[in-house]
Amino acid sequence: MVTVALDAKAEWAYPFIDAAAPTHPSLIDSRHVTDELFGFTNVPMAVWIDEQGMLVRPAEQATIERSPLRDLDIPEGLPDRMRVMFEQVKAIPDPSEGYREALVDWVRHGATSRFALAPDEVVARSRPLGADEARAAACFELGQEVWRTEGNEAAVPWFREAHRLDPSNWTYKRQAWTFVTTPDGSAEPDLMQGPNDVYEGNWLDDVLAAGGGARYYPPLQL
Amino acid sequence: MLLDSLTVDDGAFATATGWAAKPEGLCKGDVCVPAPGARRDDGALDVTVVADRLGMPLVHDEARGRWALGPATVGGRALTTAEAPDLELPDRDGNPFGLSALHGRKVLVVAWASW
Repeated sequence: MVTVALDAKAEWAYPFIDAAAPTHPSLIDSRHVTDELFGFTNVPMAVWIDEQGMLVRPAEQATIERSPLRDLDIPEGLPDRMRVMFEQVKAIPDPSEGYREALVDWVRHGATSRFALAPDEVVARSRPLGADEARAAACFELGQEVWRTEGNEAAVPWFREAHRLDPSNWTYKRQAWTFVTTPDGSAEPDLMQGPNDVYEGNWLDDVLAAGGGARYYPPLQL
Repeated sequence: MLLDSLTVDDGAFATATGWAAKPEGLCKGDVCVPAPGARRDDGALDVTVVADRLGMPLVHDEARGRWALGPATVGGRALTTAEAPDLELPDRDGNPFGLSALHGRKVLVVAWASW
């Protein structure tokens, strides 16, 4: 296994890596190059690569343990916005059991596993990429470069354009929202990514606009 | 791919995009796209020609004199080929690690983020 942190601000990933003390390669993609190379549009997502260096599954929702958030009892008396956010998080599909079984099957049976896809099928199942999505990738890359060299305010127009062109790419949105909703000097990114004065969108309203938590990831086709 | 001019070294282009300039055209895995006029007399690639042939958007940041070349849309999918890219990224300590080091083994690449 190789884990890749899609974090423009790499130091935000450090505490998680340090706590996990991984024995596998744990990499940091501070320029989001794997978004484009594999088609990652959210996290967690994963690809499978066989012994010959061929992808046998494209980027897809990947989890092997049920998130405790799915079974969380929503506390009484929460502000409406917080309650709705919990409801949408609980509605996010949890394919962990099937995904784990598929992964184990591939590890045991390799190319004969029914979950290992033929090359044409891998390509066909990868994310549709049209002119708008490709242009969004270019805008996001420019935005990241400006963010690194000039700061967030100068990068915002490029991030906004990426969001407009590719609204279903949560990686572009969540990365950029976090930059404006995290208090200055915070050691951790803000996970709520709520309404702000910089972007029209925010996590909850965009999830609701996209059809709710149930549609947060492209459907997993095992 | 970020660019400061509209010409690019073919090696840098291949590293960034996975598309290699070959006599038969621009190739990635087993997919080749004819690209007459892509290679200039000085050996560099003409980015505007390459972008047109591969359906790559070329976005210009006029204020900073920089371009960004987006991914190829020729196949209409995020993946043009099932051949995994030869990716190299740093680990927590800044040491580079290439996926090619795991050739011969099954690899699960998991994307996550702090946000």
